[in-house]
Amino acid sequence: MVQDKTLSNRIVDYINYFLLLVFGLAAVLPFVYVIAVSFTDPVEVAKGGIILFPKKFSLAAYEYIFSTNVLLRSLGVSIYITVVGTIINLVFTSLMAYPLAKTYLRGRQLILMGVLFTMLFSGGLIPTYFVVKAVGLTNTLWSLMIPSAISGFNLIVLKNFFQSIPEGLEDSAKIDGCNDFGVLLRIVIPLSMPAMATFALFYAVGHWNTFFSAIIYINDNKLWPVQVLLREVVIMAQSRIGDTEMDEAMIQPLTIRMAVIVFATLPILLVYPFLQKHFAKGVLLGSVKG
Amino acid sequence: MKTDTLRQETPLAVRRKRGLMRDLIRDKYLYLMLLPGIIYFIVFKYIPMFGLVMAFQDYKPFLGFIESPWVGFKHFERFFSEPQFFMLFRNTALLALYSLIFYFPLPILLALMLNEVRNEFYKRTIQTMVYVPHFVSWVVVVGIFYLLFTTEGGLVNEFLYWLTGSKISFLLAPEWFRPMIIFQQIWKEVGWGTIIFLAALAGVDPQLYEAARIDGANRWRQIWHITLPAIRSTIVILLILRLGNFLDTGFEQIFLMLTPTNREVGDVFDTYVYVKGLTQLQYSYSAAVGMFKSVVGLILVVGANWLAKKFGEEGIY
Amino acid sequence: MRSSKWLSLICVLILTVGTIAACSSGSSNNQNDQSSKQSQQQNSTSNQAGNGQQAAPADEKPFHITLAVSQVDEIPPQDSEIQLAIQEYTNTTLDIQWIPGSAYADKINVMIAADEMPMAMRVTYTPAIISSIQSGLFWEIGPYLDQFPNLSAQNPQYYENIKVDGKLYGIPQYRDIGRAALIFRKDWLEKLGMNVPKTVDEYYNVARAMVSDDPDGDGQNNTYGFLLHKNFFSGSAAASTRLAVSLGAPNKWAVDENGKFTPEFEHPVHLEVLKMFRKLYQEGAINQDFAAVDESEVLKIFDASRAGLRVAVAQNAGSMQSRVLQTDPNAVFDVEPLTGPMGIRVSGELGNNGFFVFPKSKVKTEEDLLKILTFFDKLLDEDMNTLQRRGILNKHYEETADGKHKWLDFDLFQREVKPYRDMLLNMEGYKILPLQDTPIAEKAQKIAEDNTKYTVPNPALTLTSPTYSERGGELDQLMTDAMIKFVMGNIDEAGYQAEIQKWRSMGGDKIIQEYEAEYAKMGK
Repeated sequence: MVQDKTLSNRIVDYINYFLLLVFGLAAVLPFVYVIAVSFTDPVEVAKGGIILFPKKFSLAAYEYIFSTNVLLRSLGVSIYITVVGTIINLVFTSLMAYPLAKTYLRGRQLILMGVLFTMLFSGGLIPTYFVVKAVGLTNTLWSLMIPSAISGFNLIVLKNFFQSIPEGLEDSAKIDGCNDFGVLLRIVIPLSMPAMATFALFYAVGHWNTFFSAIIYINDNKLWPVQVLLREVVIMAQSRIGDTEMDEAMIQPLTIRMAVIVFATLPILLVYPFLQKHFAKGVLLGSVKG
Repeated sequence: MKTDTLRQETPLAVRRKRGLMRDLIRDKYLYLMLLPGIIYFIVFKYIPMFGLVMAFQDYKPFLGFIESPWVGFKHFERFFSEPQFFMLFRNTALLALYSLIFYFPLPILLALMLNEVRNEFYKRTIQTMVYVPHFVSWVVVVGIFYLLFTTEGGLVNEFLYWLTGSKISFLLAPEWFRPMIIFQQIWKEVGWGTIIFLAALAGVDPQLYEAARIDGANRWRQIWHITLPAIRSTIVILLILRLGNFLDTGFEQIFLMLTPTNREVGDVFDTYVYVKGLTQLQYSYSAAVGMFKSVVGLILVVGANWLAKKFGEEGIY
Repeated sequence: MRSSKWLSLICVLILTVGTIAACSSGSSNNQNDQSSKQSQQQNSTSNQAGNGQQAAPADEKPFHITLAVSQVDEIPPQDSEIQLAIQEYTNTTLDIQWIPGSAYADKINVMIAADEMPMAMRVTYTPAIISSIQSGLFWEIGPYLDQFPNLSAQNPQYYENIKVDGKLYGIPQYRDIGRAALIFRKDWLEKLGMNVPKTVDEYYNVARAMVSDDPDGDGQNNTYGFLLHKNFFSGSAAASTRLAVSLGAPNKWAVDENGKFTPEFEHPVHLEVLKMFRKLYQEGAINQDFAAVDESEVLKIFDASRAGLRVAVAQNAGSMQSRVLQTDPNAVFDVEPLTGPMGIRVSGELGNNGFFVFPKSKVKTEEDLLKILTFFDKLLDEDMNTLQRRGILNKHYEETADGKHKWLDFDLFQREVKPYRDMLLNMEGYKILPLQDTPIAEKAQKIAEDNTKYTVPNPALTLTSPTYSERGGELDQLMTDAMIKFVMGNIDEAGYQAEIQKWRSMGGDKIIQEYEAEYAKMGK
C-alpha cells in the first residue's frame, strides 16, 4: 500500500528493506555454496574449505549425471506426475473444500472431523500398500498420484479461504442461474487464485520430491521419478550405522552430490516465479459494490 | 435459491422439522461435489486404519494382521515405564514448545514485512531467496552448519575467537542443542511458511488501505486494523493444525545433530524409536508410540478448536 | 449458465472413468513381459563354455529365476551383455529387480507382507529377517550344500555367520572376513624415522608425532595422525574394535573355556586403546569435534594429504592412494596387516554383504530349489567368476603375458559390470586369475586374503538373545556414548566404569546370561 512520504515512514521502509536483504542473503548463501561446489573442479574441492565461487570451473559433475539417458527418462516421469498429479490434487481438493465452506451444509462438521482424524491417525505403510494393491494401482504411475490426491491440511486451509469470499457474490451468481458447480468454477476459484496458486505450489513440490512411494509401489525402474535415482547417488555417500561397511570406491565426490542437489531442486524453484503473478494484490477489486 | 439470511432467522426447531430430506435435495450438487473426496478418504485413509491394531500386536510382516499375536497394551506399558520416558517427553515437548513460541510467529512477521515492500521486483526477489532453504535437504543443512560452527576452523568460531579470544562448542554442548535446532528450523522454513500468509494478504482490498490513509491512519494502525485481521483466521487455523502434530519433531534433523554429549537434551520420541528399531522389529512398537503422539495431538486440537470457537473464530470444524 | 452444470458433471465423470481406465491398463505385470521376451530371445540350445565346465544338456529349457537385490549405481538393462552371457552359460532366464538402498528394508518388509517375493531375495542379517527365517518362510539349504562343488569349497565360516538356530538358510554374498588393515602414510613414517606401530604405546607415539613433528615438511602444524568420527566406536565393524583386537582384545565378545562371556569393553586392552585416544584428544592431537563428524568428512582430510593413520578395509588403500595423488603427487600410502604384541590378529567380521534366501511360497519344489542352487554354484565357475569380476575380455580387461588380468576400461567396468559383481556371487582369489593393479592395491588384496588365517571370530555373532533383540540398540548406543565421552574427557575412568555398570543393569547382564545359555546349548 502506498504510504505518506513522511520521514519516519521512509526510515521504516529502509530498515525493512535492509532486514529483508540480510535475511534473504543468509537464506540463499548456503545454496550458493552448493551450486559453486557443483561447478568446481573436483580436485579443488578435495582440498576442502568453503567455496562461494568456483575457483576452477568444471562441468565434470554435470557431465557425469547427464551421461546416462536414464536421468532424462526419469525427469520426464517426474514432470508428468508433477503436472498431472497437481491437476488431480487441485480438482479433488477444491471440489471438496467448496461444500465444506458452506456453514449451512448438513453433516459438514462430521466430515471435517473425519478429515481431521485422518491427519492425526494413520494405518501405516503396509495396510496402505494392501489397499493400493487391491485397487490395482501398484506398478503404475497412478499409485503416486491417487493415494495422495487430497492433503487434509490443504483441504482445511483452502476451505478457510473459500469461506472468506463474500456471500453476496455467490448469491448474485445464483440469482443469475448458476448452480453450485457454476459458482465454484466461475466465481469462487477465480477469486481464490492466490490460494489456488499456493496449493498448486505445495502439491507440485510434494510430487517433485516423491521417491519413497515410488520405490514401494513401483517395481519397474523405467517408471521411477528423478528423485529415486538422485537419492541413490547422495545416499551412497553417507555413513550408515550398522554392520555393513560400504565399498568406499562408491562414494561419489562432493561435486557430484552437490550437482545432484542442484539438479533436483532447481526446476521446482523456477516454478514459483510463474505462480507469483497470482499473488498480486487486489483480486477482489471492484467485485463488490456496497 | 434462498439466501443464508432466511436460514438465520428461522429457529432451529423449525428448520429441523422442515426435514433432512429437504436440505439434502437442496444441496444435492454440493453433496455430489463432496463425493469423490469422501470416497478418497474412505478408501485411502480409513480402510488402511485397520493397521492401527499393530500397536496392540506383536506384528510381523510375514504373519500379517490376522495371525500376529495380540498383546494388548504391552507396548504402551513398556513405553511408559521406560526409564527414559520422562526425558524423552521433556525433550520432545520442550522442542515443540520452543518451536511454537520462537518459530511460529516468524513467518507471519516476515510476511508482514514483505507486504510492506512496494517495489514488486524487490519483493519477488527476496521471496524467492528466502524459499530456497526449504529445498535443501537436512543432510546438507547440518553439513553446512558443521562447517560454520565447528571449533576447528568454523567461520563462526573463528570470528568469536578473534572477538573474544575463546571458542564455543556449539555442536557438542548440551546447552546449545535446542537453540541450534530452532535456529536451523527458522532458517530453513520461515521463507516457505510465508507463502500461505502472503496468499491471504493478497485478498485484501487495497481500497481499504486507501480509505484508512485518507482517514489519517498511519502505517502501524493500518497493519493493526486491516492487515492483521485479514490473516487472523489463517493464523488460527494454522495454529490449531500445528497443535495436532505437537509431539512430531523433525526426525532427520535431530538425528543428524545428536551426539553423545547432547543426547540427554536431544533424544526425542522419534529418534528413540529409531534406535530401538535397529535391533527390534520396529513396527508394533513404533506404532504404539505413534498412537500415543496422535492421541496427545487429538486432545490438543479438540481443545484448541473449542477455544477458537469461543473467541468467535472459524475453527477447523 | 446451464452449460456449466453439464460441464462440471462431465468433468467429474471423465476423471472417474479415466482413473479406472488408467488403473486397469497400466497395471500389466511388467515382469511377465520381461520373461516372455527373454524366453523368446534365449536359444534353448545353450553354447557350452569353452573350458568344458558342465552346463545343462542342450535340449533343456532355460530355467527362469526371479531375483531381488540392492541397487548399485545405475541399473543395467535386462538385456545387458553381462546378463545375457550369464543366462547363456547357466541356462537360465533372469528377472532381476534392483531395489534402491534408500528404502530397501521397508520394501523388503512390504514384499514379505504382501507375499510378493522373488525366488531369490537378498536380505541382511537383521532381527526382522531372522524372525522371518525362524517362522519357516524360507528353505533350509544346509543339507543340500555338499551337492555343489563351488559352494562347498568356500570357507565354512561364511556360512556359519548367517546360520539361524544352527541351520543354514541362505547363500552369502561373500566378502572378506578379515577385511581390516592399517593404512598409513609411508612417506611420513620415513620422515619421522618411525616404524609401523604394533603396540598401544607405539600407536600413541606415531599418532602424536604425525601431529606435532610436521611430517609433511611444510612448516605448518596442520596434520593429523588418527582422525576419529562419530561412528568410530559403533557397529560390528567399528574401527576401535578392529584396532583393539589387533592389540589383544576380543572381537566384541570373549568366551572362556567355561563358556563365560565378557564384552569387549571389559577387557583391559580395549580400555588401554580408549585411554590412548583420550590422551591424544586432551593434547589436541585428535579432531576435537569428532563426535559430530561423519566419516565421509574425515575421509576428505586424508584425501587432502593431511592425515596419516587409518584402520579400514584393506582394499580401500588403493582408492585412497589414487585420490590423494590428485592433491599431493608425492604422497605415499602403504598398507599393513594389523599387528600387535601377539602377532597378526584381525577381527573376523560378517563375511557377507547380505545373503540370498529362497521363499518357499515362490520356490515350490525341491527340484526348483536345486536348480537355483545350481545357478549360484555355476556363478563361481571360472568363466562366470571372471565375467563378474573382470567383465568381458578385451572390452573391460585384457590378459597380460604373465597370466594376470589388467584393466582396459575400468570406468566402463564400473558402469556395466559392477552391479552384477556386487550383487551376485563371485570370489576374488578363487578360480580366477589375479588382477594386476597398482602395487598398493595388489598388496592390500593379498593382505585381505591372507587375513583369513588370523581372524578372531565374534562368538556371539549367531547367538540369539531376546534381551538384545529388545534393547540391543539402546544398550549399544549407551556404551558407544560412554566411550566417546570418555575419550573426550567428559567423564573420567570412574564415570566410564559406572556406565558399564549401567549397561549391565539395563540389560547387559541378561544378555550375557542368554548368550551363555545358547552357547552351552550349541554344545561347543
